[in-house]
Amino acid sequence: MDAWLVALLAGSVLCAIQAIRATRLLTAAIWLAGVSALVSVALYILGAQQVAVIELSVGAGLVTVLFVFAISIAGEEAMAVRGIVPQPVGLVLVIGAVALLAYMVLPAVGVGSPVIEGSFSQMLWEERGLDVLVQIALIFAGVIGVLGLIGEGKAVPAATAPDTAAEPAAPAIAATEDSTHPAEAVAEAVERAPVPELEEVHA
Amino acid sequence: MANEFTILLLIGLPWLGALLVWFTGDSRPRFQHLLAVLFSLAAGAVALSLIPGATDQAVLTLNVGGIFGAFTFVPDGLGVFLAAVATVVGSLAVIFSVEYMKGEAQLGRYYALVLFFIGGMVGLVLSGSLLLMFFFWEITALCSFALIAFNNDDPKAVAGGLKALIITSLGGVGLLIGALVIYGYTGSYEVNDFLAGAAQLPPDVLSLVAFGFLAAAAAKSSQVPFHTWLPGAMEAPTPISALIHAATMVNAGVYLLARFYPAFEGVPGWTTAVVIVGLASACLAALMALVAQDLKRALAYSTISQLGYMVYAVGVGGVFASQFHLLSHAVFKALLFLGAGAVIHSVGTRDMRQMGGLGQKMPFVRNTFIIGALALAGLPILNGFWSKELVLEAGLSGGPGWAFALMVIGAGLTACYTFRMVWLVFFGEPRAHLHAHETGPAMKVSLGLLAFGTLTTWLLVGPFGEMLAETLPHHHLHILDLGELISEILLAPATWLALAVIAIGLAAWWWHERLAAVRDGLGFLARWAEADFGFEWINRQVVRLTRGTAEALTATQTGVLNWNVAGIVGGLVAVLMILLLAWGA
Amino acid sequence: MTDTTLTILIVGLLALMGVGLYGLLAVRNLIKVIVALQILVKGALLALVAAGAASGQVNLGQSLAATVIVADTVVAVVGLALAVQVRRTVGTLDVQALARLKK
Repeated sequence: MDAWLVALLAGSVLCAIQAIRATRLLTAAIWLAGVSALVSVALYILGAQQVAVIELSVGAGLVTVLFVFAISIAGEEAMAVRGIVPQPVGLVLVIGAVALLAYMVLPAVGVGSPVIEGSFSQMLWEERGLDVLVQIALIFAGVIGVLGLIGEGKAVPAATAPDTAAEPAAPAIAATEDSTHPAEAVAEAVERAPVPELEEVHA
Repeated sequence: MANEFTILLLIGLPWLGALLVWFTGDSRPRFQHLLAVLFSLAAGAVALSLIPGATDQAVLTLNVGGIFGAFTFVPDGLGVFLAAVATVVGSLAVIFSVEYMKGEAQLGRYYALVLFFIGGMVGLVLSGSLLLMFFFWEITALCSFALIAFNNDDPKAVAGGLKALIITSLGGVGLLIGALVIYGYTGSYEVNDFLAGAAQLPPDVLSLVAFGFLAAAAAKSSQVPFHTWLPGAMEAPTPISALIHAATMVNAGVYLLARFYPAFEGVPGWTTAVVIVGLASACLAALMALVAQDLKRALAYSTISQLGYMVYAVGVGGVFASQFHLLSHAVFKALLFLGAGAVIHSVGTRDMRQMGGLGQKMPFVRNTFIIGALALAGLPILNGFWSKELVLEAGLSGGPGWAFALMVIGAGLTACYTFRMVWLVFFGEPRAHLHAHETGPAMKVSLGLLAFGTLTTWLLVGPFGEMLAETLPHHHLHILDLGELISEILLAPATWLALAVIAIGLAAWWWHERLAAVRDGLGFLARWAEADFGFEWINRQVVRLTRGTAEALTATQTGVLNWNVAGIVGGLVAVLMILLLAWGA
Repeated sequence: MTDTTLTILIVGLLALMGVGLYGLLAVRNLIKVIVALQILVKGALLALVAAGAASGQVNLGQSLAATVIVADTVVAVVGLALAVQVRRTVGTLDVQALARLKK
């Protein structure tokens, strides 16, 4: 088991390095899928079967598809390879953080603790019920966010709401709100949600 | 019939209504009005049906796992009473809105937020778990913000909304800290567990919780020194001012203090602090109301002042008196706000200097407004009289004498500014050429029902007290039935003293022309009150300081993502090193 | 779980997180930033499950990991939508160019 784990983790770290080094986005996405697949196998070996399956299907499957999709829309782009943060600074910071973490976590190895039984579904639905609610809220927020992003800047045909179109009111709160009129939609996008100056609080 | 289904219905009905109104779309305003009225009325009916079944046991338990404890809903007397106020006044405000908001754009957003607020308020008062209470607390703050800023192309409205959101959220932090500390020490978020076992907490921890909750309550109930947001909140449509900023949300602070009074009454200095907060709010806000020129701002200051009476009542141990005054105030202040809304809707201005003589053109509004005003002034036999006298009597028997004396003077000021307000709006000569017309049926229904309530809710004192006493096992309330209330109030010297002062207050306005010398002598006080006693200045300084610091710190922001991440990793390294050093030591 | 297994795991997941963090520091393309974020989160995922396994509560670790996967996917989806929109309006995915948004 240990040998397998070493191989899997080493493989996933290699894939991760390749994903960062890749110059083409598509290649990076494929390497990321590799990381995800190897990690999910490692999870399986550790006994976290359910999460391994979720990770394989969602992490390696769905997210990769999304990446490919997004890359095909946004397109590859030639970009300076040199990072903005000087490489030595970055390396020192990251190695410092990881080394400190390792120094703090590794002594915990060998501190045994009693095994507490409980099935996955029981844990998920009963012990961590709030998490499920939070997940629902997250998904909802994600959907709203994506809808808002996709809807932004797109002029909706004038036929949507004739009587509201008469009143040009800039929706400041709901970014998801349909724009009412093509001409206004453009004007709205320009002056969208003029964030009030804090000083005006006292106006 | 208090079962889990009723509670779910009570919170779920307004929220369902909110979704439906939202999805209906603004192209069908008539249907939106109808949906909003139906759902708010249904919620009101459910809330009223819950009253006989008030209990101190949790009837709805949402199991969210061993880590957080369960989310419980406890429909005890305090909870169902406030839920009923929220839904009934809510439905009247919605009915009023049918006329007030006719022809306005974005009705869907308006009604959805109002209904979302009603559901959130019900959840706040019924939840028996501190964590859940905090969630609902913030939901109401969010709705309040969004509705103040409803006219979001008006920078004043947006600024007022932001101010309300910032100040009430800062107060909410006090509630959250209190809840987390309680959880940390008792391992439970249950309110009733805490009330039963508060004595087991270390005294300094309990006092931290007590003052955290006081800060939260003062911010939410717009008490000194956090009161500055409420006048700004008057940019909201008037039904919103009546519902959120007079009858329901601002009561949440008083509710919090009353709810946790048994746990905190032993904390040294806490009751004194509560008395001082209430006293300062009651008197300073009354002075500010006396010099306000804007009808809605005058009402807002009067709300702060009346909330001050309730807070004061909690501070002197009169929890029942405070809740009784809360009930009266919710009804008569909603009436006053809706009456003001009818006037504003009709003449198109909020400036009292331009009004005058409107009584002849709007007799119905004038009559109902006067009923509300008399209750606010505390004249017999309206509900405001009984509850205010009860508060003052509690203050005389349980609080310091100087506080009582100032509160009685505050009652006189209340009478004076109320009378001034009524006179400026409805009587005298018209001061500007305003086109006024009598209100339509929807507004009349709301005003009429609230005026009826103002005349009669005090008759319910007996059952109201019993309900509270039976379902609040930790509170040891001093309750009265109707007969006792009448005899106790009428025989108490405090009542006659207060009535005399109220009469002086009325007379002071009546002869204010002859008292010009006195008025000029007190001119410095008036100017000081107009400047909000310097609290606005403090607000401005805080904002200036925050902005200055933020602007100075923008130099550190390159706007480049990579540098941001480098900063985060650097911060991680720093935190880890601090931890290591702390462990090593 | 033996001590050797746990040590291997900790070293492996820290390495994975390190690569992810370094990626966030070094890459300039917005979509690759999201790739780096994903790598970082994979490390966190392993850490949760490893902590669960080490403390004898694999399934508690699993349920937390499930939440992380959901959050992570939502982050990826919103991030990619954002990247596409940035490309459309700004014309580039270079984070240096996005610094103009500051003003």
